[in-house]
Amino acid sequence: MKPPSRRLNLSPSPSPTPRRAAAPLAALALTLLATACTASGAPTAALGARPAPGGTLTYATDREPTCLDPHVAGDMPQAYVAQQYLESLVALDERGKAEPWLATSWDIAKDGRTYTFHLRRDVRFTDGTRFDAAAVKANFEHMVDPDTQSGTAGGYLAPYRKTEVVDAFTARVHLDRPYSPFLNMLAQAFLGMESPKALKRGKEANCAAPVGTGPFIVKEWNRQSDVVLVRNPRYNSPPPYARHTGPAHVAKVVWRFIPEPATRFAAVQSGQVDVIDALPPEDQASAERDSRLKVVTRDRPGNPTNLALNTSRAPFDDLRVRKAFLHSADVANGLKSVFFGQYRRAGGPLSYVTPHYTDAHENAWPYDPKKSNALLDQAGWGHRDGDGYRTKRGERLSADVLLKSDISPNQLALMEQIQATAKDVGFQLRLLRLDAATVNTRYLAGKYDLRDGYWNTNTPDVLHTVFGSEYAVKNGIHSNAAYVKDPALDRLFREAQATTDADKQRELYGEAQKSLSAGAYQLTLYPQTTRLAAHRASARGASLEPALSLPYLYDAWVNAR
Amino acid sequence: MTPTSLRLRRVGARVAGAALVLWAAATVTFLALHLVPGDPVLVLLGGGSGANPTPETIAATRHAYGLDQPLYVQYAQHLGRLLTGDLGISTSLKESVGTVIAEQVPSTLRLTALALLFAWLLSGVVVLLSTGKGAVGRALGSGLETVAAGLPHFWLGVVLLYVFAFRLGWFPVAGGTGLVALVLPALTLAVPLAGYLGQVTRGALLTALDQPFVTSARLRGMSTGAVRARRALRHALLPPLTLSGWAIGALFSSEVVVEAVFARQGVGRALLNAVIARDLPLVTGIVLLIAAVYVLVNLAVDLLYAVVDPRIRTPKEL
Repeated sequence: MKPPSRRLNLSPSPSPTPRRAAAPLAALALTLLATACTASGAPTAALGARPAPGGTLTYATDREPTCLDPHVAGDMPQAYVAQQYLESLVALDERGKAEPWLATSWDIAKDGRTYTFHLRRDVRFTDGTRFDAAAVKANFEHMVDPDTQSGTAGGYLAPYRKTEVVDAFTARVHLDRPYSPFLNMLAQAFLGMESPKALKRGKEANCAAPVGTGPFIVKEWNRQSDVVLVRNPRYNSPPPYARHTGPAHVAKVVWRFIPEPATRFAAVQSGQVDVIDALPPEDQASAERDSRLKVVTRDRPGNPTNLALNTSRAPFDDLRVRKAFLHSADVANGLKSVFFGQYRRAGGPLSYVTPHYTDAHENAWPYDPKKSNALLDQAGWGHRDGDGYRTKRGERLSADVLLKSDISPNQLALMEQIQATAKDVGFQLRLLRLDAATVNTRYLAGKYDLRDGYWNTNTPDVLHTVFGSEYAVKNGIHSNAAYVKDPALDRLFREAQATTDADKQRELYGEAQKSLSAGAYQLTLYPQTTRLAAHRASARGASLEPALSLPYLYDAWVNAR
Repeated sequence: MTPTSLRLRRVGARVAGAALVLWAAATVTFLALHLVPGDPVLVLLGGGSGANPTPETIAATRHAYGLDQPLYVQYAQHLGRLLTGDLGISTSLKESVGTVIAEQVPSTLRLTALALLFAWLLSGVVVLLSTGKGAVGRALGSGLETVAAGLPHFWLGVVLLYVFAFRLGWFPVAGGTGLVALVLPALTLAVPLAGYLGQVTRGALLTALDQPFVTSARLRGMSTGAVRARRALRHALLPPLTLSGWAIGALFSSEVVVEAVFARQGVGRALLNAVIARDLPLVTGIVLLIAAVYVLVNLAVDLLYAVVDPRIRTPKEL
């Protein structure tokens, strides 16, 4: 197994500076400035190489969240911003192992259904409410309450039954079945802890300004413009991956929304904003050459970006046709030409940064038109029509690809390349660019042959979400877009959920990856990636946390302006 | 009939007309959002990618927004709420529609006002400078107007951004609240509009310049410029005034594009996002707002006619 990618920092990793020492050190840092900057190769700029407190950091992202409480709904933009003000019971390290955060330790009962969390006793929410076992209980109840309308956190907590408050700082969570991915799920910002008093204000107030224990506090949300976060002056609970203690360096974060990629990139180039995410892949090479900018990328764990093959209807109900399609696609060259070599190929069902990933299936489906043709001949698609497409009993070999009309130009270009190589073997791909509503309708009804998707999560249990037969719902929301229904796979997932033994898990998830790769259920393309670019002269120290590769601004510092 | 009752009837007809427009807007919006395929619950629960809600959550969400009711019941509830002045809670932003609009409207109004001002200035200058300059000047002016009127907002916005913000750095790249940040988006809206306004003003001005009163003013020794600016222009103002009524409404819809390109706050961008999120209360609220703006602006234009053109005033009002 390859180790997950290193956590990258924007700064020449300064030693953690205690906050008390920071202020007197600022003057010293300024005098050392020129040397420090030259040493790190950065252009001369009035920014200390050591963190100095104060100032405003302007961050720009592409999508605006619909609600700042990530318990509600649960889309990635919510997790991005929530990472700055909510904290979790546990944190993950680089290898996906759970470490203490708001919980100092935990015991898992032998049956795998009962988790007892021992909590920190010195943490308060920013509204003054004490963080304790009752707060943990209130949070879980909020996430699983259907009225919260939680698509992500509530879905992850499907096995949750109840929380028992053993004493003020001990919470016992009961699940209705053994569920070992539980700890990893808890580390995600989607399941961050919020003040129970604030939760009681109702959805409207809580969506506008959720209250956590984190380093920043939501001050205001100017819809369609920005969210303003201010520093939590009493912050005392940084996660193990943080590089300092005490309050955050910057006094204020302006979290802006600039949907146009070119505009966002120009904003960081000009220094109008300090840090951007979703750096457009076509700009990455020029950003890396640009001495004013520092690029930080980190691939995300989970199921990589893929085209799921709908096995519930022809032609992909035939394994030979699925195999033939996978062999027909020249993904490696497609990625090279479309994404300027910035995206690596993902060959197996798990992204390489996911725990228990095995690299055995990276090259399981190489571009091989000869093999593809032979498989299609075997499967009875031997005839060709006037357009060069294969036919069987008068029907053309054709697959509908469901694409949203707002698909990015690069992703569309990749689809067109896959379409072109499929045509070479006589396989017609119909790229259907439809409005979001029509895409959703056809997706719910299972009326597609190929659907593009991905799933960001930090546990190999993502395979259960994406391939488990319980999620292959006909006529409804289904995360199993390929409609895989394999009792042997379901058994592997259940057994893996039932054990907390890492070796046993690796073996079970290894078998699952093998079976999924052999089943040819997905044309996997590339891992999802978080891409930051920072203006060197104005901001340092922004990083990406290990659980979901979310941007993390606690350690960042700026020119005090 | 007495003039008073005549006036009352006219006011009554206007109010009824306005109510009809608003009702039609609310109904068409409702039908449009319900007749397009797709399940709004899916959008609500996490964007369709990455969310895996439990069946209980799906049912609760459907119920919370009344989406489990038959269509006619939903329609009746929708109209009933609107009649009591309740615009509801935005399903995508989880905030009351009134608050969302109040938050977004000032930015849009500022942009609309400045765009209209720019458009009037640009078209006025081009028309006044080019009508007296012989055939070449006229052809040049009218050619310029035709090209301007045909410029797509998206393209123009990106070009202005690239040249004046990315390259020259004279204006901020995105967002911003000050007047400086308003210039590029306002110009993007104003240039095509100025093209339209210029074309009709030019036509009206040329017609007015052929009128006998122009000849008599010239005979009395008035200069060409003074005749054009002080006598003929007033006659030429009616068509562009009518067009401005339409333009304010049209600016609101063009702002959907411009606010997105410049990453500005505003109701146009809010409308775009609400449609994508299938947010019925917010879409309805904004559509009603735009319909109300159309109604009010046209009323104002009617009143302004009377100011500009005394012939339109009724004898009583004269």
